[in-house]
Amino acid sequence: MEEFIDSIELLLPFKAEYVSVARLTVSAIAHRMGFDIETIEDIKVALSEVCTKLVKIGSKTASKYRIIFNIYKDVLNIVFDCEDKSLMCIFNDEMDELAVQIINTFMDTAELCTHENNYILSMSKSIGEKVDNATET
Amino acid sequence: MTENLIIKEDYSGEDTKITIEGEVDIYTSSHLKSKLYDIVDTRKTDIKIDCSKLDYIDSTGLGIFAGVLKRVKQYGKNIYLIGLKSSIRKLFTITGLDRVFIIEE
Repeated sequence: MEEFIDSIELLLPFKAEYVSVARLTVSAIAHRMGFDIETIEDIKVALSEVCTKLVKIGSKTASKYRIIFNIYKDVLNIVFDCEDKSLMCIFNDEMDELAVQIINTFMDTAELCTHENNYILSMSKSIGEKVDNATET
Repeated sequence: MTENLIIKEDYSGEDTKITIEGEVDIYTSSHLKSKLYDIVDTRKTDIKIDCSKLDYIDSTGLGIFAGVLKRVKQYGKNIYLIGLKSSIRKLFTITGLDRVFIIEE
């Protein structure tokens, strides 16, 4: 069991101009945890794909969504949550193929369609367990 | 509005050269899309896109590049992506778009 260190939360409006704020935040957190630059870039892209999708969908009942960064000793777990519990399984479109491919490649684990804990989705990245499929060829 | 993205055009040669600087994401992508489609439809030449100062792109941006390539092909021309940073090159590789675009160092 990984040692839990801290939890940081970010509450963002469903607006395109604030997706970069999420990227900057995760970049700072991952850097502080000790991830290398290349992995930080990967995490940024994966996180941004989720934010982008949430902004595109939006919500009729909520004005903001929450990103929870759970920091463990060697793992960064990122959870997306919203008061609007209708936001489940957000990557359900054929057009989402690229985004899903990117998230699954760049993160160690990604639960894109889970009703567990009522979260929208959860994804994690471990320090030092990176399998870089993209550069194998 | 799109201070995070700068698009420069150079029509001095036979081809059209475009330089993209900054970040392409959901906020800036509509600006990139309209600009590129406008250039493609006006110029009808090969398009060389200098990406050496492109810091970030997401699937929205990749989709725009793919759409613009399709439009350029309608004119029998091509798109050349030049100077992609390794983090961005990796995105093209994992999505298979490296086999669709002509990517040059």
